[in-house]
Amino acid sequence: MSDNSVKTSGKRKWSMAVDIDKCTGCQACVVACQSENNIPINTEDLFKQRRAIQWIRIERYWEGEFPNAKVRFIPLLCQHCDNAPCEPVCPVYATYHNQEGLNVQVYNRCIGSRLCVNNCPYHIRFFNFWEPSWTDSLKNQLNPDVTVRSRGIMEKCTFCIQRIRRTTRESDKNNQQLKDGDRRLNPACVNACPTDALVFGDLNYVDLDTGEKSKVAKLKEESLSKNGRGYKLMGELGTEPNVTYLKKVDADSGHSSHGGDSSHG
Amino acid sequence: MLPGEFNSSKITLGMILKLGMLGVAGGIASLFALVMLVFVITAWFGMPLGIFSVVGFNHGPTQPIEFPHDVHVNKIGLDCTFCHRTVTDKAAASIPAVGLCITCHKTVGGDKEGVQQLREYYSEGQPIDWIRVHRVPDHVRFVHEAHIRFFSGDKNVVTRVTNPSSQITITDALKIDPNIKEGETITVGASQVCSTCHGDVTSMPKVKQVRPLKMADCVNCHRDNNAPTDCATCHY
Repeated sequence: MSDNSVKTSGKRKWSMAVDIDKCTGCQACVVACQSENNIPINTEDLFKQRRAIQWIRIERYWEGEFPNAKVRFIPLLCQHCDNAPCEPVCPVYATYHNQEGLNVQVYNRCIGSRLCVNNCPYHIRFFNFWEPSWTDSLKNQLNPDVTVRSRGIMEKCTFCIQRIRRTTRESDKNNQQLKDGDRRLNPACVNACPTDALVFGDLNYVDLDTGEKSKVAKLKEESLSKNGRGYKLMGELGTEPNVTYLKKVDADSGHSSHGGDSSHG
Repeated sequence: MLPGEFNSSKITLGMILKLGMLGVAGGIASLFALVMLVFVITAWFGMPLGIFSVVGFNHGPTQPIEFPHDVHVNKIGLDCTFCHRTVTDKAAASIPAVGLCITCHKTVGGDKEGVQQLREYYSEGQPIDWIRVHRVPDHVRFVHEAHIRFFSGDKNVVTRVTNPSSQITITDALKIDPNIKEGETITVGASQVCSTCHGDVTSMPKVKQVRPLKMADCVNCHRDNNAPTDCATCHY
């Protein structure tokens, strides 16, 4: 490996776009995430204790009264904020921002003070209150590329860093550019989404053959422009999330399908 | 009796004996504590090159079959990658299946005890329970492929290495090719870089760990070679 031969389009910055208009609330992303990232089985008990671990979850909201009631879904995952409130409160620097724009949790450094989860406005950090356990039949499906977090450790969405690491390594090895939308690169939730509501990619990506930007960069740019559907979750807090949400299009949302964005349906 | 005066009781032989015994017991206890402390400290900082290696007990574990790396590498001339097949493109180096050994040992070396054991394993369809020598903790992701790719390949021979990914020192180059001169290019094969971490395996009757493989060991090498030292490089 020589330094100049590796084909990248500069510094990477991973980001995601979530089109709520496309989300059907099917929970495929949740299941995919649970199996990819060795997340223990959440029993009914754990949900009642509010100690269930779900790196990505679908929140459901009802809008309106019975005859005109509408159901709204919103997939919620770690926003990988550029100005993350969880990072400065960690007493042991177990959570920090790396050069690729990821909010990283270092399990072996974490002492379980739970200050980060208290400071996170999105509630997407989870504390292991118990030693994780799986039934014997599920032990063989554990992902060997992901650490099993023991009791007393904070954990959260990593944008499937194990997949990012593997694909970047392979592209370095073959001296090829890591293509945008590569299924081996995408996090498990993005691959599982049947309606392509989730889009993942590198914001600084420029295709070396076609000169095109990545899908997520285009979506972000279009949707956050004047008449776009894009918004940042709790953007007023100034956390500068790396996940862009695209709001739902219907008669009541105050946004027609013609407004500013080409992707609908 | 005036204030300030005191009566000292008479020191008997029994008291001296008791005191002496207490002293000896205390001495033994503190010596034991010291030995334990040294053991724990050396075990942590230098495992497995701890106190036992100083007094010459740093043997590797006894494997189910005494496998001579020396014979296979030096006498027969097999590459490391011939048996540890996935090492150049996967995370793990992989131990060969019994079937791979049998391709040669069906006909070769039937008089050796190890080969007879091997054939027994093969006829029973059982894998060999090799004892693992090198193991990093579960929260560390070590990838052989990336490390071998970095250290192998075409390298310029120089005295002082400024760019480790494309240069090699003359001392290291001479070990691979004794006729190499400075300024020339040398092709370093995948099997020639294993010893960076694993030491000279061919000279070990029982394979043992020669580097501590603690995080400091990894990070020092990463710093020296301009490799990333971001936590998420290895921990995720």
